Amino acid sequence: MPDWKKIVGEKLGCLPLNNGRQEDVIEELAQQLESAYEDALAQGMNEQEAICRGLAQFKDWEKLRSEVFQSVEGTQLPVWEQNGISAPRRLPVWIALAVALAFLLLPSFRKVLQVLPLSSQRDAWDTSAFSADALRRIERSGDKGKYARTLAYVALHNPDDQQAVLAAEKAIALDPQLAWISARVSHANYLIPGYDPKPWINRLKAWDRDNAYVYLLEAGASVHQDWEKRWAKFTPLNGELRRALVQDPSWRIAMEKAFSAPRFEIYSDRQFLLERGVLLERGLDRPDKLMLAAASVQFPDFTLVKMYADYLRLEVGESEEKKGHPENALAAYQSVASFGQKLQADSTPMEFQHTFSATLRKDAYDKMIPLLRREGRHGEAAVVESALAAVRAEEFGGRKLFERLQRSPAYRSGQIILVCGLSLILFALAAALWFACVALLSVEPNLSRAMNWLGSHLGWAPVLLPLSSLCLFISFFPYSRSISEYSAAEDLFATFGSLYAGVGSLRLDPILDVWIDHMFWPLLWCAVMLLLGALCLRLIAWSRHTDQSGVQ
Amino acid sequence: MGATLDRELKKGNAELLILALLEEKARHGYEIGKLIAERSEGIVRFHVASLYPLLYRLERRGWVKGEWEPAGGRRRRFYRLTATGRKTLANQRIRWRAFSGAVNRIAEVRHA
Repeated sequence: MPDWKKIVGEKLGCLPLNNGRQEDVIEELAQQLESAYEDALAQGMNEQEAICRGLAQFKDWEKLRSEVFQSVEGTQLPVWEQNGISAPRRLPVWIALAVALAFLLLPSFRKVLQVLPLSSQRDAWDTSAFSADALRRIERSGDKGKYARTLAYVALHNPDDQQAVLAAEKAIALDPQLAWISARVSHANYLIPGYDPKPWINRLKAWDRDNAYVYLLEAGASVHQDWEKRWAKFTPLNGELRRALVQDPSWRIAMEKAFSAPRFEIYSDRQFLLERGVLLERGLDRPDKLMLAAASVQFPDFTLVKMYADYLRLEVGESEEKKGHPENALAAYQSVASFGQKLQADSTPMEFQHTFSATLRKDAYDKMIPLLRREGRHGEAAVVESALAAVRAEEFGGRKLFERLQRSPAYRSGQIILVCGLSLILFALAAALWFACVALLSVEPNLSRAMNWLGSHLGWAPVLLPLSSLCLFISFFPYSRSISEYSAAEDLFATFGSLYAGVGSLRLDPILDVWIDHMFWPLLWCAVMLLLGALCLRLIAWSRHTDQSGVQ
Repeated sequence: MGATLDRELKKGNAELLILALLEEKARHGYEIGKLIAERSEGIVRFHVASLYPLLYRLERRGWVKGEWEPAGGRRRRFYRLTATGRKTLANQRIRWRAFSGAVNRIAEVRHA
């Protein structure tokens, strides 16, 4: 007859029960097998069959071990005593965790983690890469060009406007060809008390006087500097504000110069090349940062442009028509259409500038066509009509932009990356919690039942972590290009932009902005109060129990 | 669905079955398993891997008490009901009768 006690002891392994219960349990289970074996022999089975029948009663010894421990001790088997597939004693669990961590060595993997919407602050700025120390180091290196470029980046993206202004001063002093950054500095700092944008605009005018953009900034500065004081009393709805603005020579003259300037350029190409170079120099090969940087191009106030265009169309043009001066009216309309064409010719990747350009041209052409027909200039009217048809086609394309974006494979890849990324975050948090519990329990096995429970139940996390990392890596890999491979902002927006939109399709901003940024301390306060309340209730229950025990 | 229901019914009433068998006299684990199968004519069968953890749980709760006693030339661990176990059995019986009576009234009712 087999030694059943020995068999059970070997199969069950270590069972750390208190008060010597392990021997009792082994003996009792051995008797169960022995009885089954004897019954089988009595039924006429041979020795081997009887042994098999005995052993068949307990198929999953690890599960039995765990259940026996839980039943006897009223708590889970200590996590370091477990032998399950995801127990910390198993080497594969630690190998899986190491593999998951090894993914961090891959640059593409690090890049995709940065693309995930984990932070409410998503902008082109990087505090450590552009810290005062970092800037000093670049200055000491003696590379003036590099220092000037980095300062220009700081001027364009530092959220601290005062610092941005100082950086812009230094950058332009070092390299006068960086004067175009004055556009951003002139326009984005109205909140600084006593700030005067005019010196910056004058500097830009001296550097690039043929650019309509400069005059639009000038017109904007003349309005925005004291917007509340002078203009708030006029309503923009019935043209009242427009008529008031036209009466202001500083605004009207700047607008006239803008509309008659030979070209319009908001320096998006220069800005893209500068940002790409600086990000690479600072070791930030991140398309998400470059895209956000490129998208932060300083636009002029298009509302003011629309007001001046309406002034030319509705007031100058119509009044000239009424006066019987069709040539003057046509000149006014043509001025609006030409300005729209200049906006269209600019290389900005931003769709709304082109949409706005189309609106200006369409409005101007709508006025020109009937006037030309009335004047019998049918040939010219036909040319304008064909231009109008082309504008309408552009507008149609613009309306379909978001649809096109959503249909692109990159957008869908972005959504897959988002799902993989969220599961990775979940598994990483669970694995971190598991690791903390397991590490503490390895020092003190009886530290906490809750920790033991967590350590036992979160064992799947380190196993699933490398799988989700692999999925995330594979889904991003086709888009993992260096920013040096993007030749222009348009190229970046067309490929990486769709992916980025897909990743951001789940709006986490309300959670991040409201709950993390604003509700963290209130939530912590509520949790502490809840804990105190629970403790008080527990104390009350305990004191009542003691009183009742005393009465009995 | 059927298998799940069976499992749930068995799980819910396993304690009642064991306590009821121990009411008559002290028994060891192997005997309890065999008796359940025999008296239910094979309809209720306990998996041995579930029976022992359940016995240990009842012992921890103080409903049964296990003691080694000689039987048939060997030591056997016999379980007997404690006073708390008897009270629990009585309560569980009342609940079971109420429940099975209610189910019978619903399942066996005939509409005219």
